[in-house]
Amino acid sequence: MRRTSTLRRQLIAWLSVPLVVLWSINILVNYDIAKQFVNLAYDRALLEVALDIGRNIKHVNNQSYVDLPEVALQMLQSRQSGRLRYLVTGPGGEYISGEPSFPAPEETSEDRVSYYDDVFLGRDMRVVALRVPVQPGSGRGAVLIRVAERVTLRSDSATALLVRMVLPQALLIFLAIFAVWYGVARGLAPLTTLRREIEQRSHRDLAPLTESTVPREVQPLIQAMNDLLARLSASIAAQRRFIGDAAHQLRTPIAGLKTQTELALRQTRTEEDRATLKQMYTSTEQITRLINQLLSLARAEPDAGRASATERVDLGKLARETTTDWVPRALARNIDLGFEDQPSTAGVDGDPFLLREMLNNLLDNAIRYTQPGGHITVRANSADGDAVLTVEDDGPGVPEAERERVFERFYRVLGTGTEGCGLGLAIVREIAERHQAIVSLFPKGDGTGTIVRITFPRAATIR
Amino acid sequence: MRILIVEDDPVLADGLTRSLRQTDFAVDCVSDGAQADHVLASQNYDLVILDLGLPKIEGFEILRRLRRRGSRVPVLILTARDVLEDRVKGLDLGADDYLTKPFDLPELEARVRALIRRGQSGGSSVLSCGPLTLDTSGRRAMLHGEPIELSARELGVLEALMMRSGRVVNKEQLAEQLYGWDEEVGANAIEVYVHRLRKKVEPGGVSIRTIRGLGYLLEKPGHAPD
Repeated sequence: MRRTSTLRRQLIAWLSVPLVVLWSINILVNYDIAKQFVNLAYDRALLEVALDIGRNIKHVNNQSYVDLPEVALQMLQSRQSGRLRYLVTGPGGEYISGEPSFPAPEETSEDRVSYYDDVFLGRDMRVVALRVPVQPGSGRGAVLIRVAERVTLRSDSATALLVRMVLPQALLIFLAIFAVWYGVARGLAPLTTLRREIEQRSHRDLAPLTESTVPREVQPLIQAMNDLLARLSASIAAQRRFIGDAAHQLRTPIAGLKTQTELALRQTRTEEDRATLKQMYTSTEQITRLINQLLSLARAEPDAGRASATERVDLGKLARETTTDWVPRALARNIDLGFEDQPSTAGVDGDPFLLREMLNNLLDNAIRYTQPGGHITVRANSADGDAVLTVEDDGPGVPEAERERVFERFYRVLGTGTEGCGLGLAIVREIAERHQAIVSLFPKGDGTGTIVRITFPRAATIR
Repeated sequence: MRILIVEDDPVLADGLTRSLRQTDFAVDCVSDGAQADHVLASQNYDLVILDLGLPKIEGFEILRRLRRRGSRVPVLILTARDVLEDRVKGLDLGADDYLTKPFDLPELEARVRALIRRGQSGGSSVLSCGPLTLDTSGRRAMLHGEPIELSARELGVLEALMMRSGRVVNKEQLAEQLYGWDEEVGANAIEVYVHRLRKKVEPGGVSIRTIRGLGYLLEKPGHAPD
């Protein structure tokens, strides 16, 4: 899988690459401009020197000489750390003054002032050539004054100038990148909050995400997600409704089948037909139970189209009443069903209908799996402020390896030979979870039978 | 005794009709709400077994119209819905009992008998449980036709147990029944009365079972486990 880069990395790349490229171009351009201006200034200074010399040339009897005291000339030469060199030649090219090793110009310009680059004394030099007529209008030619200066001086100045221009820009780029890095972190903070909100959600919670806290650019994404959540929850609700509706629709035909079977059982005299009808009757009983449990399950799930009627439930009273309802069934199987409670059993905030349904399923299971002559005890009490409901039976028990799996839908412990459909404990857990209660299943102290315990934490309330 | 069954499922309607006819009731059967409303407006019945999800006119509406006409015929609602609110609504509208499909035929028959008995004002005041009978107006109990000697409090306990025979009666309910004779009936006193009563009726085959933590239950003889 290709690793997707982070938004921050992308933004920084998109910002810094063009910035650095532009900055480099800027350096080149700036260096060029700096050089141009430095050249202009230095050329002018060079010309000034040439003009100074020119102004002090005297002509006496066809002889020209520079009328500058030796000290001044030495000063001229030593100016700028002695980088300045000059040569004055007469109209015929005869030497008048200055550095004799000065190379001759490659081409002789007839302009009054001309500049060119040359190499002498092993160095790159910039040279200004100034022609000063010996006597204007006399046609006696001109004195050529050449002044040279080392080029490195100029490039040093240009570089210094450039550094001063470019360094603040570099700082600016670093500031911009830091601003983006920080800004993205700040800008993405709401997304991190959102991620945490989604991570902490229960898989049942399909409520829309909060839109207001995220940046406007992300809002369409949240809206799209909320739209998906809405469609998902509608589809889940539709499915649950379908299960509920289907179960409802099945009830009437099953009632018909059951009534007719019971009627036929009464009227039949032959043992063989009775046996067949008894089997049919057992099947209708099983279907009835399955339908009722499917309905229970559909109802136990949140958003099942039935508003949960939350109220303060007296768990002891509810357990007593529900257990009472099951006494005839237990007696019919010759099972001793009993009830114990503490007068001070803590109350539970919940849906009494669902809680009753939960206990119904626990009792149904217990009565089904306990052999005749067995005992079942329902207890409601308080432990450390938590309300606790337990159903204890001395049936065959659940092997340790299966204790978690029995809560799965349609899971049945093999070899129990009872016609359960495997939804009872799934319903129990579903309802317990809605009440934030904890279901545990373990054998009695002597290792036999089964105890199912539902613990309602003190602060729990229905979801 | 005339019973009207309002049920649109033909198989269930047929099963109900035939089983109730076997119990010597005269049974009429209609399959839609409009017919039911019409028949109920023109004829008298001792009991109506009413389905809720009906074509043309809904079950609740039939019940509402029936009670608006002032009829006091007992109504047993038979429905595929078992949502609590529906049950409450049905009873609020004047239904007398409520049974969810699918049901056990003996249970339906028992409720039909109970409703018809209740419908007959001033009807039999004799409760019975197997060989045991109790004349609540004459305050006399008979076992296999022989009168048995009971104190007023024992009689009160027996009456409470017989009124709910086959079901659990808790100590609070027994205490309520005895209230009026004694100012305060303690749990221990009730245990004593039950103990005495048990000695008198159990030789006749009727047993009073103690249900741990819940109360007592009166059992007919031969009420063998399946």
